[in-house]
Amino acid sequence: MTIDWSWIGDHTDDLTTLTLSHLQAALTAVFLGVLISLPLAVVAHRVRPLRGFLLGLSNVLFTIPSIAIFVLLLPVSGLTRTTTVVGLTVYTLVVLLRNTVEGLDSVPVKAKEAAKAMGTRPLRTLLTVEFPLALPVIMAGVRIATVMSISLVSVATYIGDGGLGQLFTDGFQRNFPTPVIVGVVLTLLLAVVADALLVALQYVLTPWRRRQA
Amino acid sequence: MNRRTLLGALAGAAVTVPALSACSSGITSLEGDSSAGSGGGSSKGGITIGTANFTENQVLGYLYAAVLDAAGVKVNVRPNLGTREILIPALKGGDIDLLPEYQGALLHYVAPKATATEEGEMQNALAIALPAGLQVLPYGMAEDSDAFVVTRETAEKYGLTSLADLKKQNGKLVIGAAPEVKKREVGAVGLKEVYGVEFKEFKSLDSSGPLVKGALKKGDVDVANLFTTDTDIQANDWVVLTDPKNLIPGQHVVPLIADRKADSTVRKALARLGNTLSTAQLTELNRLVDKDKKDPEDVANAYAKEHGLVAQ
Amino acid sequence: MYELFKNLGAWLVGSEQWTGPDGIAHRLAEHLQYSLLATLIAAAIGLPLGLLIGHTGKGAFVAINLASFGRALPTVGLVVLVFLAGGLSMLPVYVALVALAVPAIVTNTYAGMTAVDPDVKDAARGQGMRGHQVLLQVELPLALPLIMTGLRLALIQVVATATIAAYVSFGGLGRYVFDGLAQRDLVQVLGGAVLVAVVAVILDLALSGLQRFLFRHRTA
Repeated sequence: MTIDWSWIGDHTDDLTTLTLSHLQAALTAVFLGVLISLPLAVVAHRVRPLRGFLLGLSNVLFTIPSIAIFVLLLPVSGLTRTTTVVGLTVYTLVVLLRNTVEGLDSVPVKAKEAAKAMGTRPLRTLLTVEFPLALPVIMAGVRIATVMSISLVSVATYIGDGGLGQLFTDGFQRNFPTPVIVGVVLTLLLAVVADALLVALQYVLTPWRRRQA
Repeated sequence: MNRRTLLGALAGAAVTVPALSACSSGITSLEGDSSAGSGGGSSKGGITIGTANFTENQVLGYLYAAVLDAAGVKVNVRPNLGTREILIPALKGGDIDLLPEYQGALLHYVAPKATATEEGEMQNALAIALPAGLQVLPYGMAEDSDAFVVTRETAEKYGLTSLADLKKQNGKLVIGAAPEVKKREVGAVGLKEVYGVEFKEFKSLDSSGPLVKGALKKGDVDVANLFTTDTDIQANDWVVLTDPKNLIPGQHVVPLIADRKADSTVRKALARLGNTLSTAQLTELNRLVDKDKKDPEDVANAYAKEHGLVAQ
Repeated sequence: MYELFKNLGAWLVGSEQWTGPDGIAHRLAEHLQYSLLATLIAAAIGLPLGLLIGHTGKGAFVAINLASFGRALPTVGLVVLVFLAGGLSMLPVYVALVALAVPAIVTNTYAGMTAVDPDVKDAARGQGMRGHQVLLQVELPLALPLIMTGLRLALIQVVATATIAAYVSFGGLGRYVFDGLAQRDLVQVLGGAVLVAVVAVILDLALSGLQRFLFRHRTA
């Protein structure tokens, strides 16, 4: 299996477009996943009976093959980017919801009681005490969801999207390894860079943890 | 990178991210928004060309793009979207506007019991049978038919020359084709109805791609559904079974377009391409993409230039 | 949507649906075969690796990073790549499934091992236990809950992803998903997806049952 280097040189523009499109799909999904999972996690954390239901439901969603989710969305959103993003979001929810609930669980009761004793309102306690303290666990979830999302985008190639995944179907149909290798390498690079940026973001967002370390 | 620029970069990413298009009109909706009949459309807003999941359809899509672009129409090609079964609903729903199609196969998709076989009749039948909002433009010279192919060895072993001969081996042979062919009239359904052929197994593979050709070579399937414009048929000395009962209709390349986009600019440009491109040329373009690993887009542009379809 | 689920019911109980080479029974058996074999291979690679790293404390950084690298590997790309390199066989599917499962097994096994109280290990050594005895008689039993979590997670992912076998002409429940996509037969796609989910949930329950059986002697 040889790599056709000149093909790569001739396609830098296409590869850039595909990479950006890939990244946009993955990040939009994680962004939406965070938006949806935060309130759901608060509900699951506070309302015990709902907790098992929400976590169980998200676990079941995880067992459905991603390709099937994309296809089943076709009657709703057609052959569009929306289909890709919604499908990916469903997948990120599983990781994000679980980690956010665990993060909120991990907040010491004393911290919450101290806030209450000082007369802090519940919503304010949530935003200024609970979320910051839960942040490390939540961010761990965001990191996993991001890497997973980046790796899953390519499945949408079966519905004509999929960013770098288009290189896989193209290489497959033409018995041409170069685009496939490039696609795999770029996907891995995206995941590594995105993960490193998230580590950096977490470092910035949790200054109090730096002093401990 | 200091903290501020890093945060700025991330915030920037977060802001661009939700720019999710709210434009997905959906496959199920939208049917009668075009002014009825032909000629009422306009390509001013640009045309999105969708193509199916095999090489030739992408070549054709980029050929359409080249000539339309030269005619001043803004075009956008979406390659490799899937099968006809996926593409036509997408065309109705507005995700795409134009699609390179094949006359007979398209006719049997919209009217499975259609009997027309002559090109002009099929064109008329299509005009009647197509769902509201869609129309075919004049068909081109180039033709690419479905073919049912066996290896020379298999042909000799079972004495196969025509599709009718397959009946003698009912229940013994395995056919390989793209999954959609199992349910298509020009496929497993028609083979049974017209020739009384029943296979031992239908193997879901791909459209004249690596899976179906690999399986035929290896002997995993006995009969393979390929395209007549596939140069591998000749290269491997495979035998195309003849079709005495005309199950397989003529398959001239024909543009299928949404009424809303069909204006005289588009008609003229595509008609000129249709009258230029021959079957042999199309076969050669496929070979350049599949074997020489050229881009379908480059191959199409080079062809359009060489044949004076676009300005030099 | 209601129509879809009504048709799904008919699809699932139709008797012609269950027999023959494209029948549910056959596809189900294929899917189980792919999933279980891939998870077994992954366990054979991931378990010793996780135990070794956890026991010696060496190579943890590399292993954990390799694991997250593995999580980023696009399954479709891997399948196509191995197919182009080695031709048509089940190998591309197994390579991709094993690559998917190994990281979950390694990281959870390692996490389980590091969670073992160092005092307990010291005490075991103080009683004259050798390295491998500490590993097998002390660390392994204590790490088992997390190891099982890793195996369950890996199995669920493998069952969902084994769908990909259908892309390269093989069987399993993915056949319904890919054929249904090509034919735009959403009932078939939904049927395949539901069957995959049911298989995943049942296997997960079976493993958690096994886990409870293994720990039946423990009080807590």
